[in-house]
Amino acid sequence: MSADERIIEAREIAKTFPGGVVALDRFTLAVRRGEVVVIIIGPSGSGKSTFLRCLNGLEEIDGGSIVIDGIPLDHHRKNRLLIRQEVGMVFQSFNLFPHMTVRENIDLAQIRVRKKTRTDAAETTMSLLAKVGITEKADRYPHELSGGQQQRVAIARALAMSPKVMLFDEATSALDPEMIGEVLDVMRTLAAEGMTMVVVTHEMGFAREAGDRIVFMENGRIVEEGETERFFAAPREERTHAFLGQIL
Amino acid sequence: MKRGMTPLHLRSAAASRAALIDYGKFFLLAGLAVWLLTLGTRGMGYNWQWYRVPRFLFTTEGGVWAAGPLLQGLWVTLEISLLSLLCTLILGLTAALFRLSDSFTARALARGYLELIRNTPLLIQIFFVYFVISPVLDIGAFASAVLALSLFEGAYAAEILRAGIVSLQRGQWEAAHCLGLGLFDTYRDVILPQAVRRVLPPLAGQGISLIKDSSLVSTIAIYDLTMQGQKIVSETFLAFEIWFTVAAIYLVMTFGLSFAVRALEHRMNGFPIRGAGGIA
Repeated sequence: MSADERIIEAREIAKTFPGGVVALDRFTLAVRRGEVVVIIIGPSGSGKSTFLRCLNGLEEIDGGSIVIDGIPLDHHRKNRLLIRQEVGMVFQSFNLFPHMTVRENIDLAQIRVRKKTRTDAAETTMSLLAKVGITEKADRYPHELSGGQQQRVAIARALAMSPKVMLFDEATSALDPEMIGEVLDVMRTLAAEGMTMVVVTHEMGFAREAGDRIVFMENGRIVEEGETERFFAAPREERTHAFLGQIL
Repeated sequence: MKRGMTPLHLRSAAASRAALIDYGKFFLLAGLAVWLLTLGTRGMGYNWQWYRVPRFLFTTEGGVWAAGPLLQGLWVTLEISLLSLLCTLILGLTAALFRLSDSFTARALARGYLELIRNTPLLIQIFFVYFVISPVLDIGAFASAVLALSLFEGAYAAEILRAGIVSLQRGQWEAAHCLGLGLFDTYRDVILPQAVRRVLPPLAGQGISLIKDSSLVSTIAIYDLTMQGQKIVSETFLAFEIWFTVAAIYLVMTFGLSFAVRALEHRMNGFPIRGAGGIA
């Protein structure tokens, strides 16, 4: 993989939480443009979504380096701001702005950050709502929507910034089972369109179908990674084997 | 019997009986209060002269309506209160943001201000501003009064606003962060609208305190409502009539503010205070 092919380059990241829990232990991962990397997590669950949160500066790393699309995530305000603008994130708990309608949620960053006119923003918003399939809820408030609908709005809101990378932090874990499908469908569409995605999930079906590469992680380290087909068909590590045997 | 098991028609009868008893209690207490008041005033042999009060409110000599000293005082109190309220909110917000800032200097500054103001009496602060600071800044009594009141109430408003801001879920900050919003936009569009909505009731209480506390500015020769009352009492000895009237006027003002805030709260009810925006 050549240097400009890599959109995310995380080298030897270390992160220890104040309690002494090691979340990331010299964690190294590079992601190609347009690649969908699915991170699945072993039963112990440590290092959970910390990696994603480090990628856009939500968590500070204790060691190592992160470069996103050629921009180093260092202590320069400008670089950090640029990275925040180029990396979209979808949370387990949606985090929509409850005092704004669906439309306003999606308009906000377009107007404030991308400096679009209201008309331009409104146009993008409606096309994104069409993409996630909830145009009819544009003027509703988040609490009037189901969990699945809220998460689809959250995806549309992140997409409104036209990010180069989308991070999904257990996006379906807080949803009722019957709503998981509608959110995964949107994520599949995005993957098919060539969006670079890093997805932390427990949904093995989605990982198999949409993932280009699987990373199996435990205790802050990569246990095994590989092309999706190879990973599921012939896991090399004993630990991966045992884990897949348990859940498949 | 469990409440949920009571048949519906019986429950409504029981509910209306409970309401009736409740009203009964209210009138009993009100009657008791009036009785005590009459007893007390009769005991001290006070000669009530309510008929002399209206001309201190307004006069209509020669068919021309003119505000009496009490209404003139009311106007001064209103001016001071409204200006101070505005400055209180600005100062309170600034101090709250300073306290939450990453900068040590800003935090220390806010902390010093809050501790100094909240741990000294307002009356002394008013004197301090009027006698020490106003000659330096070259401002008059009125501006001194507004400054002192705003500094005082601003410290309390700051803590109220800070409580509202930190009560929001971390996810709101994180979502704004991930959208690339700057600090100013995050506060203006995401954090403050929700925080203010949450702390509107205690903030209104602070506004009411401000109106009542403004009576202390009478000590620096400002002819507000309280000062006018004092003057009339010393000239006419109508102590109880005038003070009761003054208190009633303050009551009308504070009620007015409460009412306005409640109307505002009602209008902001487009979204629930808690539990919105996904799981907690």
